[in-house]
Amino acid sequence: MWTEKYRPRTLDEIVDQEEIVSRLKSFVKAKNVPHCIFAGPPGTGKTTAALCLAHDLYGENYREYIMELNASDERGINVVRETVKTFARTKPIGEVTFKILILDEADNMTEDAQQALRRTMERYSETARFILIANYSGRIIEPIQSRCAPFRFTYLPREAVIERIRYICERENVKILDDGIEAILEISEGDLRKTVNILQTAASLNKPIDAEVVYSVVGRANPYDVREMMLIALNGDFIAARNKLRELTQKYGLTGIDIIKQIHNEIFRLNVPDKWKVKLADIAGEVDYRLIQGASDEVQLSAMLARLVEAGYEIKRAL
Amino acid sequence: MSSETAFIPWTRKYKPKSLSEVVGNEEAKRKILGWIRSWEKGVPDKRAIFIYGPPGVGKTATVEALANDLNMEIIESDASTYRTEEAVRRFAGRASQYGSLFGMKRLIVFDELDGITGSADYGGLREITEIVKNSRVPVILIANDAYDPRFAALRNNCLLIEFKKPSKVEVMRHLAKICAKEGINADEAALRFIAERSNGDVRSAVTDLQALAQGRTRLTYEDVSWLASRDRKEKIFDVLRMIFYAKDASTAKAAVNMADVDLDMLFEWIYENIPYQIKNPHELANAMDMLAKADVYRRRVKETQDWTFLRYVIDLMTAGVASSWSKKSAGWTPFKFPERIKTASFSKEERMLLSEIGRRIGRKCHLSSSRAVREVLPYLRVIFQNNPKMAKGIARWLDLTNEMITYISGEQ
Repeated sequence: MWTEKYRPRTLDEIVDQEEIVSRLKSFVKAKNVPHCIFAGPPGTGKTTAALCLAHDLYGENYREYIMELNASDERGINVVRETVKTFARTKPIGEVTFKILILDEADNMTEDAQQALRRTMERYSETARFILIANYSGRIIEPIQSRCAPFRFTYLPREAVIERIRYICERENVKILDDGIEAILEISEGDLRKTVNILQTAASLNKPIDAEVVYSVVGRANPYDVREMMLIALNGDFIAARNKLRELTQKYGLTGIDIIKQIHNEIFRLNVPDKWKVKLADIAGEVDYRLIQGASDEVQLSAMLARLVEAGYEIKRAL
Repeated sequence: MSSETAFIPWTRKYKPKSLSEVVGNEEAKRKILGWIRSWEKGVPDKRAIFIYGPPGVGKTATVEALANDLNMEIIESDASTYRTEEAVRRFAGRASQYGSLFGMKRLIVFDELDGITGSADYGGLREITEIVKNSRVPVILIANDAYDPRFAALRNNCLLIEFKKPSKVEVMRHLAKICAKEGINADEAALRFIAERSNGDVRSAVTDLQALAQGRTRLTYEDVSWLASRDRKEKIFDVLRMIFYAKDASTAKAAVNMADVDLDMLFEWIYENIPYQIKNPHELANAMDMLAKADVYRRRVKETQDWTFLRYVIDLMTAGVASSWSKKSAGWTPFKFPERIKTASFSKEERMLLSEIGRRIGRKCHLSSSRAVREVLPYLRVIFQNNPKMAKGIARWLDLTNEMITYISGEQ
């Protein structure tokens, strides 16, 4: 897949995030890396930066010196205790005296797991350095934050993304039109992974990529449109919105947490008065909490949809 | 998008208009017709017939169809009216003495005689017996059990006509006719299942059919087989009606005791039906909120294994829902059975396959499995459907099994 094919291998290949890259290069030079937190929105190069750092530090066989864990898949205290400990305990052979443990989606770890992680980080800091990757550093507990060097990744500038798109198209022999590029930029919102995935999918149609092609593949890839479900509810049709919800959970396997996250993302983009946005965010927060506590996805989300119906009704009446 | 307004029960919509449309009971129908014809030659030996048989086999429907065929006017009394001696005399006394009004032949019917009680309807039976003895117009009595001792005197003055349960095939044929008229393509197995369950009760078979099939164009065995889990006596619809339209909180709560379904199942029924019953947006939101809170308590029961929390679940799902709306519905809306139970949800195998695909993508693309499913898989689907060559390369690179490839390209 192109996301991997065109993922930079070395720090030099990283096109943007200059400040971060230069600091990371200084770590390589010193052959020492502190514990780090890479925080920032998705698709801005956090994982890539961690892998490139490891590559530059250990050379081509860097995979032997690192361990990638995904907190979303392997969360829980036990994983930290067992896997991490086993990995972190032994000293690597070679010039560099520590291994690197990349913990992706670290903000999805429970607080207990983070507490356990903190102790592990301290105990094995001689032999292992941790790079925690997160969308929100705020979800990482304070004691860990204070032990880590923070790196804040930001959305790539428009030009950098355009350049990347053109570069890939050239290499892949794909014809792309200007409005195609615009469409991709609009949809991917600075997320480079999404950008490349859309690009490859559009290219798979084997015709010049224009805006129409882009929108059609994106539309086909995302039939489970949470926004659409919300609009149906706002329009007053609860039953249709609930059917949509069922489609999302039953046909596409989305979890309640996935959906409430997306609902929350959409709330502030809705064309409703701010008063309602805040109200809905509050409700979403309660639903989110209940879902984490193990309440029923469908029932809780339906209750949220019913509030959207109410909001739509109130807003229309106020007009 | 469905917006049923006034609800017409199919039992009424497809009520037989003519004797020939009544399901089964050919012999009984012949006897009744013979008796009514005999009135043309003067008052017969027996001035009344006593039709009896189990519920829902077409006793009342037969009488109404008969009156329709022969253009007769029915003077009717059923259990909903008082039937004291005085009331019966007022209702039927005069009518039984004068042959016709406006040239129409008249038929006096006492339906649901089982419902007559000794106290409230004091003297009523005796008065009916008097009318039967002296009537100048045909009288028809209807009850489930003609051999109830209370009817002894009455019985002696009547021609007894028994209604039997129609056969399964007869019920099926009737259901098939309704389906044809409703434009529903129904599997024979589905109709057989409903007919079998009804045990000869045509009315309940039609009610079940409506509950299961209204608004659909297709009815399969899978659509109906879930009914097996509920016993007819549970009358889940009655329980729901009691909850949604409860006059007060305690009535709503009491409904739970009537339901033989387990609480989770009842919860599903309520959840499914809230939006069909409650249309006002505020009330809908409030009712859903109550149910969502009940769900939270339900979760607490599981978490703590402390079953005393159930009482809050019950409070909120019954009284909570009932009290969150004004119960002014635009028209009677039928209850729907829970979609969640019927639709095969995302199966466990499918979920496992999906998360394994996610893991394989994630391994290569440095993503969590769930994120890979969410963010990458949708695009892979499109690629797999469009570009076999590119798909093949990706599949090899991700090390996908054939099953996974089929799954990814086959969806939608």
